[in-house]
Amino acid sequence: MSPVTARPAAEIISVAGVELEVLRAGAGNPLLLLHGFQHIDPRLPIVDLLARDAELIAPSHPGFGRSSRPADFGTVYDLVHLYLGLLDTLPRGPLTLMGLSFGGWLAAEVAVKAGRRIDALILVDALGIKVSDRETPDILDVFNTHPQDVVARSWHDPSSFAPNYDDMEDEELVTRARNWEALARYGFHPYMHNPQLKRWLANIQARTLVLWGASDGVVEPAYGEAYARLIPGARFESIDRAGHHPEIEQPEALAERVRAFLKPHHPGAARHPAS
Amino acid sequence: MDVWYQCEIPYPHVSRDVLDRAASVRASLPNRYCDPGVAADLFEECIDEFLLADERGLNVVAIEHHAGINSLLAANPMLVGILARQTRKARILSLGTLVTLRPDPVRIAEEYATADVISRGRLEIGFVKSGGSEVASSNVSLVDNGERYWEAIDLIAKALTSHDGPFSWEGKHFTHRHVNIWPPAFQRPLPRMWSATGDASTSADVGRRGMVHALVLRGPEGTRAAFAANRRARVEAGLPPSTTERFAYAALVAVGETEDEGLRLGEKLLWFLNTSMKSAPQFGKFLPGAAPPEAAPMIYRTRLKESKSTEAPQAAGNLRPSLGNKDALMAMTPERAVSQGILFAGTPDTVYRQMMDLYDFVGGYGHLVMIGRSGFMTHAETEKSIDLFAREVLPRLKEIAPVEAGFNQQ
Repeated sequence: MSPVTARPAAEIISVAGVELEVLRAGAGNPLLLLHGFQHIDPRLPIVDLLARDAELIAPSHPGFGRSSRPADFGTVYDLVHLYLGLLDTLPRGPLTLMGLSFGGWLAAEVAVKAGRRIDALILVDALGIKVSDRETPDILDVFNTHPQDVVARSWHDPSSFAPNYDDMEDEELVTRARNWEALARYGFHPYMHNPQLKRWLANIQARTLVLWGASDGVVEPAYGEAYARLIPGARFESIDRAGHHPEIEQPEALAERVRAFLKPHHPGAARHPAS
Repeated sequence: MDVWYQCEIPYPHVSRDVLDRAASVRASLPNRYCDPGVAADLFEECIDEFLLADERGLNVVAIEHHAGINSLLAANPMLVGILARQTRKARILSLGTLVTLRPDPVRIAEEYATADVISRGRLEIGFVKSGGSEVASSNVSLVDNGERYWEAIDLIAKALTSHDGPFSWEGKHFTHRHVNIWPPAFQRPLPRMWSATGDASTSADVGRRGMVHALVLRGPEGTRAAFAANRRARVEAGLPPSTTERFAYAALVAVGETEDEGLRLGEKLLWFLNTSMKSAPQFGKFLPGAAPPEAAPMIYRTRLKESKSTEAPQAAGNLRPSLGNKDALMAMTPERAVSQGILFAGTPDTVYRQMMDLYDFVGGYGHLVMIGRSGFMTHAETEKSIDLFAREVLPRLKEIAPVEAGFNQQ
């Protein structure tokens, strides 16, 4: 894993009855970042990099990190409505929504429902749709696949970036397992996608960038290209030397793509032609 | 004491090199390695053994596992239906259909009610919470498995005890708008229910519900702790103490005319542990829901680390898999298995003494489940062991009347 620097812990806020852990950093227009299989570690370089040009707001989904999960909260439907509620707490104005992997699925769902509230949508190795035929899975079954194979398919360079459990503290491992359990709760069936989402992606009004790790073996770049084709005007770009987690393997490259995508967009500038 | 004969109908006829190469012999070994003709022979032999057990005064047990060499019984109700018709005296325990993995408990209630009618009231219904390899084969997550377990059991009980027309069920995990099973169960109010579990929390629930509490290959310490949790929960709930009829222990059992013959048969039974348990980590310890997150330090690390947390290892202490370390199991000798209460083997006298030592240590049990055939045991060896057990051990166990459980314990 990349060298990390110490950062203050995230704050806990209450949204719709959920005690939500939210990492905030930087200043500027809000960038709501929805994490993937694991919550955002505040020590990751991507946090500082994204916070240079925006107010980064990175919640841990209920059941992940230190976020609570009410007993009756257990579906992607609940998550989508939670984040629509969170959007309502943010000041009106330009807003970027960015989702990584599983969080990309959530971001796409939220963008479908949020109309013009979101100016820019960035999906990074996002899950959430069904592309191939019924006997060809699009997304690696991370629960039924040997952990070594999951590692091999998740990272461009497993030897440098795959997590080393032996070096982690107990607390980190417990959180990791809690995240894993929450991921299964939300994404087990149908596996990591909503069969209806593909139909509604055409309603997304935010201008959209779809970024993909060129070496992603969890969900391959062709899936990302198909995703981009379903969202009006979306642009697809791949990131070299990155697997399923460009935010960890290539944080500088990822942040640079995000910066370049957001830069031409000024408040009040013309939106996507479809809007 | 009642004795129940169990055989999981294993399929040992896969070459060693295939098993060595496979990441898992459960859940993912291709079924091209299973010859249906050989399977048919196995079913014929094993069903005959169940019938012999019936004839000799034992009850019978049908269990369920999926997609592996350890058991060909992926469809428990099929065997239960056969046993309901073919046996004459035995009570028949389904231990059991994996209720947390099936989408519709009402269908399970229909299957059980039908088998109970065919057997004219000899069915007993057992539930197991299921684990990794079964989960993979059933496309179900283990997360919330405990909730689904009790809700499914409640729905099955309601279906079996409702006789006034359709009722509706809109629970958290199961919904069914029109439940009205035909035929109803033969026994009223419903067949006796069992639950096989070893964790303290579920054991307590089993105690409060008054089900028969079965421990499978758990050994003396784990069984004693689980039974104690069951009894303690009843006391705390203000319920009358249970007799030993509410407790069961399942072990591998091999009886020979000599110590050596019994132990050599027992060694064949250990195939179940030392060959068929091989399972890849994604079907076990890494499966979400298989253990609470607090167990993660024990599960994730490949080597021991000085723990800084006082809570995690303490929480993990109660969470060890029921059969302990799989590497140790795969290398287990019969002598060691006997010393750990997993195997009762030897002459009839020895076997009886081993069973009673465990009986005294755990606070008593009123049911012994005899896992009597596994691995490469032959039909003839199995029938001889059943016969010897029935003649020499069963009468002594039958003399043990129910008493208040935990009688000699604090």
